[in-house]
Amino acid sequence: MIDLIVAVLRTGTPMIYVAMAGVLAQRAGVWNLGLEGLMITGACASVVVTEQTGSVALGLAGAIAFSVLLSALLWLVIEKLKANPIIAGLGLTGLGLGGTDFGIQAVYGSEGAVTAPAGIPTLGPGFGPFGVLDLLVIAMPVMVFAVWFLCRRTRFGLRLTASGEHPFAARSVGADPARMRLIALLLGGVLAGLGGADLSLGGLDIFSTGMTAGRGFMAFSAVIFGAGHPVGAAFAALFFALVEFLGIKAQLVFGENAPRDFVLMLPYIATVLGIWISARLRGGALLSATEMRDG
Amino acid sequence: MRARLLAVGWAMAFIALALILCGIIFQASGFSAPDMFASILDGAFLSDGALLHDLRWACPLFVSATGVIVAFRCGYFNVGTQGQFYLGGIGAAVAVAMLPHAPAVLVTLAAILAGMAFGALWAFWPGWLRIRSGTDEVITTLMGNFIAVLLLVWLTSGPLKDPAGSGQVTSSPPIPAAIRISTDTGVSGWIIALTVLVGVVTWILVNRTAFGVLGGLAGRNPVMVTWQGARLSRLGLGAFLFSGATAGLAGAMEVLGPDGRLVSGFSPGHGFTAVLIALVANLSVSGSVVVALFFGGLASASLYLPVIAGLPSAAIDMVNAAIALFITARSLPAWLRLPKRNRS
Repeated sequence: MIDLIVAVLRTGTPMIYVAMAGVLAQRAGVWNLGLEGLMITGACASVVVTEQTGSVALGLAGAIAFSVLLSALLWLVIEKLKANPIIAGLGLTGLGLGGTDFGIQAVYGSEGAVTAPAGIPTLGPGFGPFGVLDLLVIAMPVMVFAVWFLCRRTRFGLRLTASGEHPFAARSVGADPARMRLIALLLGGVLAGLGGADLSLGGLDIFSTGMTAGRGFMAFSAVIFGAGHPVGAAFAALFFALVEFLGIKAQLVFGENAPRDFVLMLPYIATVLGIWISARLRGGALLSATEMRDG
Repeated sequence: MRARLLAVGWAMAFIALALILCGIIFQASGFSAPDMFASILDGAFLSDGALLHDLRWACPLFVSATGVIVAFRCGYFNVGTQGQFYLGGIGAAVAVAMLPHAPAVLVTLAAILAGMAFGALWAFWPGWLRIRSGTDEVITTLMGNFIAVLLLVWLTSGPLKDPAGSGQVTSSPPIPAAIRISTDTGVSGWIIALTVLVGVVTWILVNRTAFGVLGGLAGRNPVMVTWQGARLSRLGLGAFLFSGATAGLAGAMEVLGPDGRLVSGFSPGHGFTAVLIALVANLSVSGSVVVALFFGGLASASLYLPVIAGLPSAAIDMVNAAIALFITARSLPAWLRLPKRNRS
């Protein structure tokens, strides 16, 4: 049981950080499909910077810096150039995936993996089975709480939500929706960068091309599944992590009877089921989704 | 006409912006941006045989792009082209494997139809979920892509595995030459004919049928179309099935044509590029002919770059992604805009 909790926390945490970035963007009215790109950029930058400087702190700072930079670019394209948020987001994801692939080949010559000399500090053996958890995992509940507090208990959060739900209302109290979106995306950039860093530096301390494998999209789905609520999104991300863990367990128990490729499909299938259920719960109006994401 | 020229101008301007962004990234990574672009141009259009390679990549891309055009016009963001393309390839390979003794022409036809059917099936479930319960099709089709990749890995390393194969990349056994629709060059009468046929059918569908016109309206104003008595659910499902079938056909063309077998993870950027072609062409069928040739060139350059010029092929992925980032932009920031002339 403790194994399960530790494993789910370790796989779930990177997705939760990215999902918190998604929650902020969602509330501000941006369907951020660039999360996958921000996540892989964070994963790549953290390992490369740590490998070059030897400092994990600088690695995390690098992850945040690149992710924030890309978020600012996305805001510029969506808000100032009036691009379609879905396509621009997918473009940003492609830029993250292609750019990290390109960057790794530019710096290290051949394609493949980069190993960092150190990872994010863990609790250590003093904590028994929980000792493998790193500091970002420990800070995760605090972060979720902070995002919840920001969204639901501050004036800023209310204005942020208003900017997404009813820009006119936001404007009438003096909040500029475009500016709110910029703040939401930049804050999200910080969180998504940390999530990406936790994916690479919180595990094997290795970055390999394409290692996010759709986790950013899953985090985005967690936002939808969690109806834009930080706690709901966090639990949705944990659910996807749980499915992944159970699949790996099933493979250990049943061996050949649970083919590897089908086990790897489980989180994606769970994601589809998750957003289908949330669409059913929402009442399934045909137009509801389009209104928001295209507006 | 004037509106169309304006659209072309916009597309050019934002592609230029995307290329500038890529140039900055190239420079920052220690490459020379002019050299990089020169090599890309070389690989895409200028080197020996480049135009033939261009056509080889452009044909399947155009076929997939027509499906994207139909779905996007109806207002459905089917971004699962890659998965539907893979399912098409799988369908063709399964049909070939299941008909070992039938006459070659019949096998080819069966394989093409199976590819279209499998592709349509892979678009059907996201379409159904979207139309019945409002499940966001962007997520479901993206997840469908990931599932299709794994399905392809499983098939090529399991049931359809080539027992004689020993390479790093697993694949099905080679398809007999009599069944294939082209040699390894990927350009043949069959392929050109199929591509032209799809282009003509799509053009007629979009511009000359009630389905196309209503679909185009539904994409802009679904409520109005419902009021006019059209059945939105039927339109939408039709658009999904059509786009799935065309992507599936492209997959079957790839397997029966240049690849000659079902290869694990073949043409990884196909779906994204097809969506890009449709968008750059502003969802016009005739426009996407030209745009497909351009992106076909980029696709062949991504094979040319690492081999001939010794540059990372991911440069092409970046160029494509940067274009996607900017291509739907419809406005410039105030400080960049030309002073507006009085409307007369």
